[in-house]
Amino acid sequence: MQDLLYFSQQLINGLTIGSAYALIAIGYTMVYGIIGMINFAHGEIYMIGAYTALIAITGLTALGLAWLPLILIVALLCAMIVSSSMGWAVERVAYRPVRGRHRLIPLISAIGMSIFLQNYVHLAQGSRNVGFPALIEGGFNFSADGAFEMSLSYMQITIFITTLICMTALSLFISRSRTGRACRAVSQDLGMASLLGIDTNRIISATFVIGAALAAVAGLLLGMYYGSVDPLFGFIAGLKAFTAAVLGGIGSIPGAMLGGLILGVSESMTSGYLSGEYKDVVSFGLLILILLFKPTGLLGKPEVEKI
Amino acid sequence: MTTSLKKLVTAVSTSVALMGAGHAAADIQIGIAGPMTGPVAQYGDMQFSGARMAIEQINAKGGVMGEKLVAVEYDDVCDPKQAVTVANRLVNDGVSYVIGHLCSSSTQPASDIYEDEGILMITPASTSPEITERGYELVFRTIGLDSMQGPVAGNHIAKQNPERVAIVHDKQQYGEGIATAVRDTLKDKGIEIAMFEGITAGDKDFSSLITKLKQADVDYVYFGGYHPELGLILRQARQADLDAIFMGPEGVGNKDINTIAGEAAEGLLVTLPPSFDEKAENQDLVKAFEAKGEDPSGPFVLTSYAAVQLVAEGIEAAGSKDPFDVAAALRSGSFETPIGTVQYDKAGDMKSFEFVVYEWHSDGSKTPVN
Amino acid sequence: MAAKNYRHALFCAIVTLIISFPILGFNLEAKGISVTLTGAETSTVIAVVLAAVAVFVFQAYRDSFTGLLGKLPRLNPLAGREPMEQAKKAKLESWILTGIVVLALFWPFVVSRGSVDLATLVLIYIMLALGLNVVVGLAGLLDLGYVAFYAVGAYTFALLSQYTGISFWMALPIGALLAALFGLMLGFPVLRLRGDYLAIVTLGFGEIIRILLNNWTTLTGGPNGIGGIPEPTLFGMEFGRRVKEEGNTSFHETFGIAYSGEHKVIFLYLIALVLAVITALIIRRFMRMPVGRAWEALREDEIAARSLGLSRTAVKLSAFTIGAFFAGFAGTVFASKQGFISPESFVFLESAIILAIVVLGGMGSQLGVILAAIAVTILPELAREFSEYRMLIFGAAMVLMMIWRPQGLLPMRRIHIKLNRQE
Repeated sequence: MQDLLYFSQQLINGLTIGSAYALIAIGYTMVYGIIGMINFAHGEIYMIGAYTALIAITGLTALGLAWLPLILIVALLCAMIVSSSMGWAVERVAYRPVRGRHRLIPLISAIGMSIFLQNYVHLAQGSRNVGFPALIEGGFNFSADGAFEMSLSYMQITIFITTLICMTALSLFISRSRTGRACRAVSQDLGMASLLGIDTNRIISATFVIGAALAAVAGLLLGMYYGSVDPLFGFIAGLKAFTAAVLGGIGSIPGAMLGGLILGVSESMTSGYLSGEYKDVVSFGLLILILLFKPTGLLGKPEVEKI
Repeated sequence: MTTSLKKLVTAVSTSVALMGAGHAAADIQIGIAGPMTGPVAQYGDMQFSGARMAIEQINAKGGVMGEKLVAVEYDDVCDPKQAVTVANRLVNDGVSYVIGHLCSSSTQPASDIYEDEGILMITPASTSPEITERGYELVFRTIGLDSMQGPVAGNHIAKQNPERVAIVHDKQQYGEGIATAVRDTLKDKGIEIAMFEGITAGDKDFSSLITKLKQADVDYVYFGGYHPELGLILRQARQADLDAIFMGPEGVGNKDINTIAGEAAEGLLVTLPPSFDEKAENQDLVKAFEAKGEDPSGPFVLTSYAAVQLVAEGIEAAGSKDPFDVAAALRSGSFETPIGTVQYDKAGDMKSFEFVVYEWHSDGSKTPVN
Repeated sequence: MAAKNYRHALFCAIVTLIISFPILGFNLEAKGISVTLTGAETSTVIAVVLAAVAVFVFQAYRDSFTGLLGKLPRLNPLAGREPMEQAKKAKLESWILTGIVVLALFWPFVVSRGSVDLATLVLIYIMLALGLNVVVGLAGLLDLGYVAFYAVGAYTFALLSQYTGISFWMALPIGALLAALFGLMLGFPVLRLRGDYLAIVTLGFGEIIRILLNNWTTLTGGPNGIGGIPEPTLFGMEFGRRVKEEGNTSFHETFGIAYSGEHKVIFLYLIALVLAVITALIIRRFMRMPVGRAWEALREDEIAARSLGLSRTAVKLSAFTIGAFFAGFAGTVFASKQGFISPESFVFLESAIILAIVVLGGMGSQLGVILAAIAVTILPELAREFSEYRMLIFGAAMVLMMIWRPQGLLPMRRIHIKLNRQE
């Protein structure tokens, strides 16, 4: 019983982180699906979302606002607006001019953008870790007769539910709406879609904006869950999320979700049963293994070689 | 093509060559090397402000042997590669005394060069025991070692008769070094160590670690590392109702931990050098710092001040500007500095450097624990 | 049209405000134990607004601006010139390379010690970039974990010297071969992967190597790194003030000259120079050999290359192995130069910088890579006054380079025969 509780606790920890990874991974996977480039700066967009949310929360609290839902909603909106604008601007400035060139060119441009944004926030806000207020506290505790108590905090529940809502909304949007259909068409064949009268530039911009908005949601949630932000934390999270996207099959939205969850759970299980030092080794090792047997990821479409 | 390349080469070489030149020969140059930028720049600021203040005050009193001290400052970003570049620059500039570097991993490769080139180095912040273990003649420090701080923490924990202790570190030179020293002390006292584990520095999610600590049912957790990680661990542990006492080294003992951990910082134990800025005899100096708008309470401000002062007094005691004579004078003499009376052993470590256990409070204040 | 222009310009200006104002206009400050928000100085706010206005004006009159820019190239007297003949160009490039090497031979004796030390670092980067150039530039395999092989070379020397007391000259081939072996090992599993999957796997591999080095404390010293790595010797002569190893003599005593720390620095520089030249020459040779042609063929069109009977396995593996070999070379020199190594010298950013050198230099071109290595290493040193902004500028420069000159400083062009259409 004791062991089962411990296992479930580690599972909950892993799923929490995993669903947040999935939210960030969506941005990578959608962009890759449409224009086939790795948007290395996406992790920084998530970081900027977290900073904006923190600035909004601190500002609103200083103004004397005390009603929690309102603070959260305003902070979320601010973060989404700023991150989306950032996503739009980054695409416009750094990616559109190099689109369609050798695939290394956009990648280098993206790495440059990532370094630039990291240092932009570093210069504006300093390099120190800033505490993020825990707005949602408390939770449920489950205990058997043993000493170990399993806990499920309200914050973790919030993360699950929000991720679920975002994913459902996104799936509906992609499958039902006009823009969503256009997105799918562009990812199938960019040239053909533009011949059929789809404004591909607008669709690509929309992809960046949607991805950035989801990253901002993740920024606010994880900021509260972890407890601090710093200019460098987007890069690591971005790397993990990108791994999740590749794991699930880059270009596939359910794949990103699955990849995120697998990555999160494998990390927490490694920390829980082995040692925290090796969790990155295990997650990258897992990635290499999966790619060896399924070179396009778990849910990715197999690439057809055209001869 | 060739001409523009030549132009580039000449431009580069002249500007590199010019960079260090320009000081009158009559002055005594003191190199200050530490991070001005990068992730640990805030600790570098402490080092520079302490050393600058010492140079200013010594010059105001007429300098050393009638000559003024001049600071030559370099940024090493706490990157070993850049530290070597900076060390070579300082050799280039003809500097004979260096205050620095800050991070142990920068100090170590740089000190090889200083020793070889006959430059006296005093580090005000690097705590790795290895730095003074190599039998170097010109390497000193004005700070305690990891191997001194660890036992203080270990003894304190042992005195409370804990049942199970967990030791966590951030897998960096500083954190792992202290954690290992704590573990060895506790082992000697026969105390069960339930866990000895590393985390990744810069990580933010510690839920798995905390679950593990809960499962192991520990009553003491020692963390070797810096405040950003410990702050998060404290906060997430409180969220998960982990009931244990946490303890950490001086790297966690600053007010930033309160902004991250909030209420959870209450009751944290920290080993710190005694607060030099609270000593009665240092109050004039504290006022001088405050008049400049600087904060003298950081752990490396007064150690840097003392390092400059030791160089100056070493020169006067030796009656010579030769670094080897100055080193000999430092080893044989006894010097009054803001960090107390300094006497050196053969390795270049201070014979006594005290650490005190403090209890940290959620308002950022601290009280000594006996 | 004009109205649409203004609308777009207004939109861009608003976006500029949104992305810069919250981050630049408010500062999160830790005051005591709580985080407070303070407004930035008025000058920052004014700068943000000015930036938005500038964006508005630029976007609104974009057409006229680009029109003006279009006229500019005509001012360049060389713009209309016929491109140089291929053979002549290749010849010129070799002359320039020779010139650089000759210049580099005499350079350490005229400049200061700090510059020589910096130049050694540049040479290490040149070796790394030339090696990566094989993998990325020639074979077209995107490797984001190249720094792992560099680490293997450095650690091989450090560990061997620590446990067996081996000298630099023995360690050099061993380190390079071991790195090559790692390249081969990584090459096998990733053969099936293409493009960006390859990129992420190599990135993961680089991280795994670094984490293992950091965690395997009993062997590698973990984060403490390994110190006391010996410097190269010249026929058993050491360059230190005191002789460290028995049986060796010291350089200054043998020649009866006064000890000077510069000898050591210059000697190390010359070794690095020789190794860099060897690297360049070997790779040049490879490029003209069938295997070099095969790399490029595979890069240009994998399917066509395979149809022509090239073995994908052999070609990709050879590129990985040879690239890794030279990284091992560079790693050994780096360990010897530093005297101390720790895992923090082998992080992802290092891979990114080496990749940036290759791309800036114009993928595939040796002269370009050398110039880019010099630029990337020296410019940040010159810009020390702007050290706060160093990385910001570096990031922006990478983006701007990709936009304006994606082919790099000196793009590579092969000697080729142009078949004219027969009338």
